[in-house]
Amino acid sequence: MLAFHVAIKNPPVADAQKKIHMKLFTKYNRINIIASILIFLGGCIAFYFVMDHILVKQLDEALEVEQSEIVQYTKQHNKLPEIVNTNDQQTYILETTRPVPSTVYAFKKKLNKEDELYENIRQIIFGLEVAGKHYQVTVNKSQEGMEDFLKLLVLVAAIMIALILLAGYIINRMVLKSLWQPFYSSIEKISSYQLQQQQALQLPTTNIEEFDLLNNAMNNMVSRAEQDYRILKEFTGNAAHEIQTPLAVISTNTESLMQDEAILERHHATITTIEDAAKRLSRLNQSLLLLTKIENHRFELNEHVQWDQLIAKRLEELNALADSQNLLLMVNTVPVTTLFHQHLASILVSNLLGNAIRYNYENGLVQVQLNENSFTVSNTSSLPKLDSEKVFNRFYRHPETKVEGSGLGLSIVQQLCKAAGYRLSYTYDSNNKLHVFSIQFS
Amino acid sequence: MKLLLVEDETELAVSIQQYLTNNDFVCEWAKDTKAALERVSIYDYDCVLLDLMLPDGNGFDILKELKRQNKPEGIIIISAKEALETRLEGFNLGADDFLIKPFHLSELLVRVQALIRRKNFKGSNIVVHNEIEIDILSKTVSVHGKGIDITKKEIDLLLYLIGNANRVLSKAAIAEHLSGDMADMMDNHDFVYAHIKNLKKKLTDAGSYDYIKSVYGLGYKWIE
Repeated sequence: MLAFHVAIKNPPVADAQKKIHMKLFTKYNRINIIASILIFLGGCIAFYFVMDHILVKQLDEALEVEQSEIVQYTKQHNKLPEIVNTNDQQTYILETTRPVPSTVYAFKKKLNKEDELYENIRQIIFGLEVAGKHYQVTVNKSQEGMEDFLKLLVLVAAIMIALILLAGYIINRMVLKSLWQPFYSSIEKISSYQLQQQQALQLPTTNIEEFDLLNNAMNNMVSRAEQDYRILKEFTGNAAHEIQTPLAVISTNTESLMQDEAILERHHATITTIEDAAKRLSRLNQSLLLLTKIENHRFELNEHVQWDQLIAKRLEELNALADSQNLLLMVNTVPVTTLFHQHLASILVSNLLGNAIRYNYENGLVQVQLNENSFTVSNTSSLPKLDSEKVFNRFYRHPETKVEGSGLGLSIVQQLCKAAGYRLSYTYDSNNKLHVFSIQFS
Repeated sequence: MKLLLVEDETELAVSIQQYLTNNDFVCEWAKDTKAALERVSIYDYDCVLLDLMLPDGNGFDILKELKRQNKPEGIIIISAKEALETRLEGFNLGADDFLIKPFHLSELLVRVQALIRRKNFKGSNIVVHNEIEIDILSKTVSVHGKGIDITKKEIDLLLYLIGNANRVLSKAAIAEHLSGDMADMMDNHDFVYAHIKNLKKKLTDAGSYDYIKSVYGLGYKWIE
């Protein structure tokens, strides 16, 4: 679930950091299982050899008992014992010319006459002197029983280990999943949290110390961020507000200067410059305030806006401007009403239509289309295709732009569309050389 | 015509006072709530220009007091607070108009004139300027008694020019007046030029004197 969130959150950088995301407990399980398998495998092998060693020793002890029995017998009776060979144990006595130096244990393979298979045997070879004659006695004991026992032991051990591993894996999966639950619920809350919505992030207390630490740290961090954000917002609002008054002083005084014929005659260019600059600053200020407010969701979008009427009203106001450039206006609208904000809708339409006219050229074309699904404004312009990545950025202005503007008009339109859940797009129709701005309602 | 200006910013108050005085208004100035309340309790004004943020209180308090005393003054709020809620609150409390700082003095003047015209309106509301007659209610204009074909915007522009007769109006001020709240997008100077040109042509075609003069390319002036 974590990996899923991360992938959704950062689609553009996904290529740059194509790491394999795995859950903590998957990773832990993987390491755990590999280590367990290695340890148990080593254990099994060691176990096998130890058991083998012990069993061979037992066999040797049995052989030694046999030897001492034979030696005892010969000492008592001064003759060789009678040999009874069984499947499990055979004794051979050979006469030798010289005495056999010492007792020797050995492994041998022997063909079993019954099933014609070789079987492993353990043998003891020792010397015997009976009535002045030297003998070499060999006692064979089959290892088959021991091997079967050993195989069984190892098999049981292996099954046990496999069961332990499986149980561990299942327990990890089930227990860890529920243990991590508070972590995932915190993550979910954090990822759906938005500073702008002004709802406090409240992560619950769990009974796990680490998660409580994390949640407390997150709660503290968010409340600090919330406070900083509030202060910043207040500051932005106050600063913008405080700027308005000195601006009013500048523009009213400039206006007073304008009324003096003598000053005007000598300084009309300077006065115009001052007035324009003050005006631009004031407009910029107001646009920024508006943007901030839209971003802070200060407007409720709950008014019925009749887009066709609004567009007609704005077009009427812009008519003189369009006429002055001798623009061809092609308007095609049908009655459309959506829930929006009257004042904001008016700004949105004015910005789009205003741009289409302002950035146009003499005898150019403006097309306005409104239907149930979309509102589209297309226009010719002296500007080439705009960078669709940047066109809605604040203060983006095409380098060839000669028309004055704040560079905030389209940002405002974009923020408005975002607030209402409309989709705003820019395309360039290269066949007709038209810049097309389109808003999809819904 | 007597006005009361309630404004704490001295530089701004002085230039407003000066501009209005030059346009034949008697303009008194109160710097804070206390002084303003004192003055309105003693004198009657045609119009009160009210700033909202004052050192010793809120302009709305003065507005409430005026309404409580049933004073007939017209009230124009002049404030840097452009928030929609503030504006709505102002109108709810009985303000007649709302002007956001910074504004053009010429704009303030025509708003005051329009407000006084509305208040003194007795049956008819006609502005006469030599051969030009503007009927504000029916939105018609006649020159030498003959009606001319004119748009609402042009009537608005005409009233603005006549209201500020003999004063230089910058293109920016005219644009702001014409576009109202939509000032953002329509401060294009070509737009002003287009409107002025159309109005000039309609008036002179109807036989009116050519009152509108261009001033050094920075603006226009209505010459009486």
